[in-house]
Parts: sequence; C-alpha cells; structure tokens
Amino acid sequence: MTAETAVPPTAAYAADAVLTEVVGLLVEVVGDEILIATEIDRDSSFNEDLAVESIEFVALAEKLEARYGARVDFMAFLSEMEMDEILTMTVGTLVDYIAAQPAGEPGGEV
Amino acid sequence: MADVQANGLRFHVQHLRGGRASTDRPTVVLLHGLVLDNLSSLYYTLAPPIARAGFDVLLYDQRGHGMSDGAPTGYDVDTAVDDLAAVLKACGVTGPVHLLGNSYGGLIALHAAYLHPESVASLILVEGQCLDPAHSGLRPAAGGYPGGWVEDVANTLNLIAIGLECNPLGGDLGSRGARKAARMRAGADTLLNQTTLIEDISTVRLLTPGELAQVKCPTLALYGGASDLVDSGPMLAGQLPDCTLEIFPGAAHALLRDAPKELLASVLRWLETHSPAAPQFTGSAGGYRLPASGGEGAP
Repeated sequence: MTAETAVPPTAAYAADAVLTEVVGLLVEVVGDEILIATEIDRDSSFNEDLAVESIEFVALAEKLEARYGARVDFMAFLSEMEMDEILTMTVGTLVDYIAAQPAGEPGGEV
Repeated sequence: MADVQANGLRFHVQHLRGGRASTDRPTVVLLHGLVLDNLSSLYYTLAPPIARAGFDVLLYDQRGHGMSDGAPTGYDVDTAVDDLAAVLKACGVTGPVHLLGNSYGGLIALHAAYLHPESVASLILVEGQCLDPAHSGLRPAAGGYPGGWVEDVANTLNLIAIGLECNPLGGDLGSRGARKAARMRAGADTLLNQTTLIEDISTVRLLTPGELAQVKCPTLALYGGASDLVDSGPMLAGQLPDCTLEIFPGAAHALLRDAPKELLASVLRWLETHSPAAPQFTGSAGGYRLPASGGEGAP
C-alpha cells in the first residue's frame, strides 16, 4: 500500500478542499447564519437553497478571484452563462469549475 | 477593488480589466437603476463581454443600493452626478469615459454629460427617460404619457412604500426564500420610507431643450418597442445634437431581460466605433502619441 501522504491529490480530494474554501468564503460574504439553518453541500443551489442574492454572488466571485485569481477566470466562466443559469447554479458546479482549472502559480494549495 | 470612500460614503465598486487593448480606450462606466436594482444586473449581462472586447469596465452600487452605504438623503440626480465623479476619482479614472445608464442611471448619465462635458466620451442611455413632456415643444402626440415619467415613478414608489409600511414583514420567515424576500423588502422599505428618495425623485429637474442642445457628445438611445417610454426616444433624438436611436421591437422597459443579446450587440458596436484607436507611433521625429488619459476632472 502506498502511504497516503505520498499520493498526489486526486481530483476528488481537490474538489473537497475547494468545497470547504468556497463555503468559507460564502460565509464571509453572507454571514454565518447561513450555516445554522442548513447544510451546504454540492447540490445546494445558490439561489433557491441558500438564498444568496445576486449582489452577494458578485461579492463571492470577487473573493474567489482573490483566492484563485492566477488560475481561474470567473468572468469568463460567468459570461458564458445566461443570467438564469448563474442564479440556478449549484455549489458543486462552481467547485468543479475551480477544481478543473490547471494548477497555476507555485504555492497554490489546491 | 471592492469598496471606495467617495462623497462621504463607502461605495461598493467592481472594476473589470479589459487587458492590453484597454490602455488607450475610455473606461466604460455602468450605472444601474432605482431601488430594487444594483450593479449585479449589469455585472451578469453587459460587463463581462465589454471587458472581453478590450475595455476597462467600472460598476458601482448607487448610494443606498446593493452593498454600498445607505444614506438618509442625496437621491437627487445632482448628488448622483457628484457621487459618480467622486467614485471615478477614488478609482483613479481620470480620462473621458463612456457612460452607460440603465433607466434612472440613464438620467444620471445624461446630467453628467451636461454638467461635465469634458469628461464624457459618449453616452449610452438604456431606457432612460430624460425629457419633461410638460415642457413646451416636447409634449408628445395624443396618447403619450401625460403626467411624465418622474411623476409616474414617484407615484409608483409611494404605493410600494405604503404597502411596505402597512405590512413590513409578510410571509413565513422559516424558509430561506421567505427570508430572502424579507431582506429585499427590508432594503426597499429602508430606501422608500426612511430616506428622502421619493421626495428627491419627484423633484428631479429634467433638462430643457436648450440644455439638451448643449450635450454634444455622441449618444446612443435604446428603447423597447413595448416600453411605456418608447415615445420619448424620437423626442430625445430630436433634441440632442448627435443622437442615434435604436428601438428593439417586442421588448419592454427591462431591456437587459427582454433583449439581452440585441442590446449587447448594439452596445459593443457603439463602443468599437466611438473609441478611437491609439495613434500609431511612427518612430520618426514627427511621431506623436496622445496621453492615455484626457485630463483632470471626472464627471
């Protein structure tokens, strides 16, 4: 058996880490009350399940850019979607997009 | 950049970069509409493709809207123009800009071009009502809007304000959707019942024909064919010295929702044709290069 620490992070591991970070940044934007009422998972939709407002999603996108800026172009991601698609997006869709981007800057954690 | 201090308030700002091509081109500033609107409506629609076309794009939430600070007063158009000037200055935007305003944002844009002509490269007015139909010479043909847009808006906002005051917290707050609706109601209630917004809007002074004649920058006026404001398009085009009018058949007031692709195509076409390319540097003694910015004094 290979030691776990010697195995490069798998895509699933990366997605889990990204999920944790996305949730953390979302809490920074909307407040931690969001954690009290419901569990946030990959299937949670920002609009319906989490009641994230359009303007809060703008703020979240900005925080994500600050965190992943060198490797993730969120404006390109968003600009390929209709507004309805953005509003019905699930946490998993966003996480998968981030996790699928090639690791860029040295020191990137994910 | 997320927040700037300007005109005594904190404004939520989004500044999208257009890359190398944007260096010598005017920044495009996007101004949203009233009360239930904020920069997100433009952020999700026009802003990304304009940035990808090679323009820096600046968006901000107007005072009391979105994630900017609230303020008890200052919802008149002159203060809005002051806010705009202060936000641009705080963001380091000094040259002439393309100003795009949606609905009430269009009114702000037009006033900015009138008050600070040196700072506006061009105007794009999306469903902006900028005329006083009661003014002699501007009254539309029979069937037009007799009371005027400002009066209509003030009346509508008054009705909403009364509704919010009588029933401040409706619905079941146990569900997330209801809490979101309640937050939106609370935001609207604050703006309509605890600020001078309605009073400020109802006393907005619209530009006279003589003042409109002084707005010489190129202007693109866009209206929905099914909008209540469509009659004002030809009137506005008739008063402004350099105005191009486009009407989108079938669309109503919310052009961003009703005709997003057609609207975007018109805006991009306009920006490309009204953004002079950087002068070529010849390398000879006679070569020249214009400065990237066009002087002090943001609008």
